[in-house]
Amino acid sequence: MFRTTFKNLRARKRRLLTTALAVTIGVAFMAGTLVIADTISRTFDDLFADATEGIDAAVRGSQSIDVDFGPEARNPVPETLVAQIAELDGAAAVEGQVSGYAQFLDKDDEPVGNPGTGAPTLGFNWNEVPELNPFELTDGGPPSGAGEVVIDRGTARDGGFAVGDTIAVLTQAGRGDFTVTGIVTFGGQDRPAGATTALFETTTAQDLVGEPGTFQEIAVVAGEGVSEEDLVTQIQAIAPAGVEVLTGEQYTEDSQNQVQEGLSFFNTFLLVFAGIALFVGSFIIYNTFNILVAQRTGELGLLRALGASRRQVFGSVILEATIVGVIAGVIGLVLGIGLASLLKLAMAGLGIELPGGAPVVTVRTAITALATGMVITVLAALVPARRAGAVPPLVALRQRSVEDRALPRRRTIAGGVVTAIGLASLGYGLWGEPGNAIQFVGLGALVTFIGVALLAPVLASPFVKGVGGLIAKLRGTPAALAEKNALRNPRRTSATASALMIGVGLVGFITIFAASTKASIDKTIDDAFTGDLVVASGTFGFGGLPPEVADEIAALPEIDLVSGMRFGPARVDGEDTGVVAVNTDQMARLADIGISEGSADDFGVSSFGIHEDVAEEKGWELGTPVTIEFVDTGAQTFTVDVIYSENALAGPWFIDTAAFEANYAQQFDAQIYASLTEGASLAKARESVEEIVDPYPAAEVQDQEEYTEATAGQIDQLLGLVYLLLVFAVIIAVIGISNTLALSIYERTHELGLLRAVGMTRQQMRSSIRWESVMIALFGTILGLTVGLVFGWAVVSALADEGFSVFQAPVSQLVVIALLAALAGVIASLRPARRAAKLDMLEAIMTE
Amino acid sequence: MSTSIDVSTVTSEGHDGARQLAAARTHRAVKVYGSAETAVRALDGIDVVFDRAMFTAIMGPSGSGKSTLMHCLAGLDDLTSGEVWLGETQLGRLSEKQLTRTRREKLGFVFQAFNLVPSLTALENITLPLDLASRRPDKTWLDHVIETVGLGQRLAHRPCELSGGQQQRVAVARALASRPEVIFADEPTGNLDTSSGAEVLDLLRLAVREYGRTVVMVTHDPVAASYSERVVFLADGKIVDDMAGPTPERVIDRMKSVGEV
Ligand SMILES: Nc1ncnc2c1ncn2[C@@H]1O[C@H](COP(=O)(O)OP(=O)(O)O)[C@@H](O)[C@H]1O
Ligand SMILES: [Mg+2]
Repeated sequence: MFRTTFKNLRARKRRLLTTALAVTIGVAFMAGTLVIADTISRTFDDLFADATEGIDAAVRGSQSIDVDFGPEARNPVPETLVAQIAELDGAAAVEGQVSGYAQFLDKDDEPVGNPGTGAPTLGFNWNEVPELNPFELTDGGPPSGAGEVVIDRGTARDGGFAVGDTIAVLTQAGRGDFTVTGIVTFGGQDRPAGATTALFETTTAQDLVGEPGTFQEIAVVAGEGVSEEDLVTQIQAIAPAGVEVLTGEQYTEDSQNQVQEGLSFFNTFLLVFAGIALFVGSFIIYNTFNILVAQRTGELGLLRALGASRRQVFGSVILEATIVGVIAGVIGLVLGIGLASLLKLAMAGLGIELPGGAPVVTVRTAITALATGMVITVLAALVPARRAGAVPPLVALRQRSVEDRALPRRRTIAGGVVTAIGLASLGYGLWGEPGNAIQFVGLGALVTFIGVALLAPVLASPFVKGVGGLIAKLRGTPAALAEKNALRNPRRTSATASALMIGVGLVGFITIFAASTKASIDKTIDDAFTGDLVVASGTFGFGGLPPEVADEIAALPEIDLVSGMRFGPARVDGEDTGVVAVNTDQMARLADIGISEGSADDFGVSSFGIHEDVAEEKGWELGTPVTIEFVDTGAQTFTVDVIYSENALAGPWFIDTAAFEANYAQQFDAQIYASLTEGASLAKARESVEEIVDPYPAAEVQDQEEYTEATAGQIDQLLGLVYLLLVFAVIIAVIGISNTLALSIYERTHELGLLRAVGMTRQQMRSSIRWESVMIALFGTILGLTVGLVFGWAVVSALADEGFSVFQAPVSQLVVIALLAALAGVIASLRPARRAAKLDMLEAIMTE
Repeated sequence: MSTSIDVSTVTSEGHDGARQLAAARTHRAVKVYGSAETAVRALDGIDVVFDRAMFTAIMGPSGSGKSTLMHCLAGLDDLTSGEVWLGETQLGRLSEKQLTRTRREKLGFVFQAFNLVPSLTALENITLPLDLASRRPDKTWLDHVIETVGLGQRLAHRPCELSGGQQQRVAVARALASRPEVIFADEPTGNLDTSSGAEVLDLLRLAVREYGRTVVMVTHDPVAASYSERVVFLADGKIVDDMAGPTPERVIDRMKSVGEV
């Protein structure tokens, strides 16, 4: 029995490969994601292991706030602790550590690197203790004064800087010029994990990237014969409150874990798309095996007649699927390693730089790839295998009908029921006003997707008759034949189209969702921001503009109102999050935040403003005391003094700048909002503001329109990435169409030969196959776009409370998607059409 | 009634009368399959003329080259050497596209099986060559053909809903619909029972007698051959005999002497 399986496989190597291809791409995607993840985490692990190698004990603030994005925030430790630790018997060497934001400017005054989307740009103090200094000087010497800096070799090479040159560095203290005294590498690398590095003498570092009088951490080297634990115990004995002590080992592990946490979101994101690709691939496999089984019905019937059991026939198909799956897994793994580099390149093209060295392929990746390829293929082949087992022996003796047009009612009913459940959940989420509307909508969307896929065969006939009929009328006999062929097996047509439906549905949904998001942002900002100018710091949460900039702008005669906007980590009512701080009295007039209760006039150091949703959710009202914890000042009590309705600018809650100054060591404006004095010229005001921010090359002055555009524009980057990742699903779907057509052509050899004999030209033959492909592609696309449109609308409606005020379906983009899908259909048909046209007519006629 | 000419005396050049009468003819037609040691001479220098408005049968043992000859005559296959003429046209000089056009405009086909496109209805199958050529069918003629082959009730049916005999009749109707100059039939009754076969053969004879078409039919069956006006016998790729006014008995006798039982 299984001998026939292998014979089958060997006889159709090419078909086997194309079948495997559908899964291969999904597997490659997944393997690639895992390789990228492992490469990045290995890079960081090595980095931290290297950097912390010499540390036997680490002292740091015990207050921490772990916000979703960016490193966790901690309170600093007092400088004086260094001397006290140095006194201890067990400590051989001690040194305070400073780190923070520092960004180089190249010789054209352009910022080097972009901490918002790429690797961080870091500044440290130069460690004098060799065990604690992970950097190696390749040229020059350490920094010794306020005006000196040591730079990484990557920056030196790219920017053409040498020892003795002057380099400009942006820090919290603004822009400064420094003399390069040395050039370093880290573990032999020019720029570990892509980060740029500026090293200053310790006091300078405290001023520029830390806080005078404090360190973020203190690193300690143990004396001879002193264990890490003993050292920690000794330090703990003298440590003041608000400080914690870790062994070197714990410290390394903690640093590594923090990075893993940050990466896990990114990995999940990529794996979701790999999952989509595999899902689409499984449709193709299912379809291919169905066709193969249908084509072999006669042969299978003969085997059954000759005594093969149902199970043997079932088993032989499953075995074939397993082999296809293993092949797909192996090829997928190999491709995945290459794909990892490609994905990295593509993401770099979109402005997202991933760090990492040589690709890391772990055993886990290999096993996952192989297992996924196999499991997906076998699962997808289960139904076809059962169908094969069910072939009665009699079939071998009868001539079977080529047509397989009957659709089981069961499936139609199942499809209808599933779709109804999906739509019900969707509707309940939208109109039933449950607390978690978006979950109902999301789940409903997914279920509806499956329901529509089940119903697709029922929809295929009317669609092909309608659209295909129209094309046939316009394009003549080849198109008419294409229509008939697409109709011949609606199940096959729709399974092929379903794969494309999923890809296009997601593309359509994302397009609509993104357009609606942008339109909503446009609208809210237009509605909310009544000022005239915005200065964006361009540093994305790493530093920003020092408060003097806002003061200088406020002093301009052309400017009336000014408010900076600061962000800081905070624990609000026990939840690790962040707060926004504004000049409340000015901001209330710069923006219409819709104050519904309370007043901005007497908003003080302990006043708290909250959005009405927060008020409702937490049950807070005017006068409610709220505890907010800060890393620098600990728990503080605020009072709800303002409740507002528009959260476009302020977010869920805000405090006053005065409160921010009282509770944070570092003061930076991420944004500055300003309005003009009456009668002042915007152009002139802008010129003056631009002059003030000139020393901060990352900063950008925007008028209202530019500000809106820049805010909405952030979505484009993400959109680009999502499109890129969905392309895989679409490519798989196109391969699926091509595969199905190729198999159908094989099946129709006779008929095609006959058509050629009675006068069909090669060109007509090609065009017929092409039209069939286009009809399938259009069917999948229109189903997909419809589903995508409904979901887009549903999700946007469900999120209406979260600020999605506008639903927008970008017609031109959706039309482009439909046209591209038709084009994909043409591309998918190229190979099968060529094969059909080249078909040896005589052989075709004479077969049998 | 017989207008048969002794082909052995006819060469393609110099006989104007024969030329005008010839619907199709070959000149030293040679077809070799394979190469070197495995080479098979399926046609070994065939000179044959098929007269206009005549029903000719080709007979011979299995493997004697009957199908090959027919395929070459119909432009479905090309010769290794020699010439095939269809009326005034030498097929070897035509491009692939011209050949296709010639097939759908000047030739009709009836094969042994798989004659019809399964996804098309009987009527659509009948008009297929016309549709492919974007020609409007002549309605009166079409109705007449359909009536003749007796398919009026079954036009909207698909091939799988038709019996073998009905399918072959649809194929004959298709061959007639475009009023081709020559109809080629390769064992058109090979898969049919006697009475269905007789109906199809009657139709082919009708095509010659009533409508003046030329029919060339490959067959194994002496009874089928007796419907024709002339039988050409092939053996080993050569013409070994040519019989006018065949009857089943004469054909059987002849077949015995050629070596087939
Ligand atoms: N495509 C082909 N390749 C090789 N040999 C062929 C091919 N077609 C036919 N032949 C050989 O040519 C000879 C004549 O075949 P054919 O014309 O089919 O005979 P008939 O129709 O009289 O049975 C046979 O020996 C056959 O094996
Ligand atoms: Mg034959």
